[in-house]
Amino acid sequence: MNYFAPVRSTLSVVVYPIQTIASLPSDMGGWMSDFFQDRKALREKNTQLEAINLVNSIRLQTLQDLERENMRLRELLGSSFRLQERVKVAEVLSIDLDPFAQRLVIDKGSRYGVFVGQPVLDATGVMGQVVKVSQISSHVVLLTNPSHALPVQVNRNGVRAIVTGRGLGEPLQLEHVPHNADIREGDLLVTSGLGGRFPVGYPVGKVISVKLMQGQAFTDILIEPAAKLASSREVLLVQAVEPLDMNEPDIVEGDE
Amino acid sequence: MAASKTSQGGGIIILSIVMAALLTLIPLPDTLRYYRPEFVGITLIYWTMAVPNRSGISFAWTIGLLMDVMLGGSLGLLAFSYALIVYFVLQFHLQIRQHPMWQQTLIVFSLILLIQTLFVFAELDNVGWRFCLPAITSMLLWPIIYRLLRSVRRTFHVR
Repeated sequence: MNYFAPVRSTLSVVVYPIQTIASLPSDMGGWMSDFFQDRKALREKNTQLEAINLVNSIRLQTLQDLERENMRLRELLGSSFRLQERVKVAEVLSIDLDPFAQRLVIDKGSRYGVFVGQPVLDATGVMGQVVKVSQISSHVVLLTNPSHALPVQVNRNGVRAIVTGRGLGEPLQLEHVPHNADIREGDLLVTSGLGGRFPVGYPVGKVISVKLMQGQAFTDILIEPAAKLASSREVLLVQAVEPLDMNEPDIVEGDE
Repeated sequence: MAASKTSQGGGIIILSIVMAALLTLIPLPDTLRYYRPEFVGITLIYWTMAVPNRSGISFAWTIGLLMDVMLGGSLGLLAFSYALIVYFVLQFHLQIRQHPMWQQTLIVFSLILLIQTLFVFAELDNVGWRFCLPAITSMLLWPIIYRLLRSVRRTFHVR
């Protein structure tokens, strides 16, 4: 079925320069605003980021502890370990593709180990997954694509459902949720990992409306995506790695 | 020598199509994205109509294939669409040249609508009435593109 994949990936390399040139104007806008920032704004931003970093590193310390505890308990239960994940950063080319199919082009391809089906996140949540890979670039399909579905669970109580897209600029929706399911406005949805593609526990979105439609079999639930689908410039590519060895010492940052 | 005299300016045609491809990719606000004209399509229509010996079905097919790869759609869909509209223009280019501008815009409208219809049939997405917006904007843009490319053709003596 995939006889033409090599053709497509070769031709992708041919058209990549045009895609790069098309993304130049908005890239330049970014550079200009970086260049002409004043010193005061930069200092303020730096202070802010340092504060956030401090909070995050404290949280990370407790998280490491919890992770190990979790794994010990799971070992006691005999259930499988949660895999550890490694992420790579890729940049989004700021170009518009077909508006009816929500896709992005990123600047990393098979040369960097990107593969089809690889989950793509940004700093705030799940963005989508890789659908086409060439040597130096890849296409990512976003959550808002109507043909994309993602297994999720409610963070509050573990109710499972499937999120599908509804098109450009529209919220996501939950499919086939019965009327009696315990899902409320404001609930956070995270990936459930049941599809086998996405790792467990990454935020997908927040429930913004729950409508019980008279005479309909299922509840109408709308989700606001957690990721900034329209404005993210950098994305994270997730890769599952070997389960953590319990006997190895923790890797502490800056210890190498 | 004689060959280079009867046909020249191939680089200009390629350059104009690259420019059209860039215009297809330049980011627009979300609300305007559905209105983006089919720049590559109308550029191909112009060159096929004006200098049919420099354009052709295989040329259009190649451009379409590259556009398919660039936009990440089904491989060969735009290739087929462009080849089809260029076939129609090749068949009727002598008539189309004689038509007044408003009739030409209607022809451009129907050709671009044909591309969009093929897209809807092939992708089977529920896109609603919005699929015909590019045909309308292409139609409105045609007089400008026509004059622009005509002056380009005359300046660089594309034959």
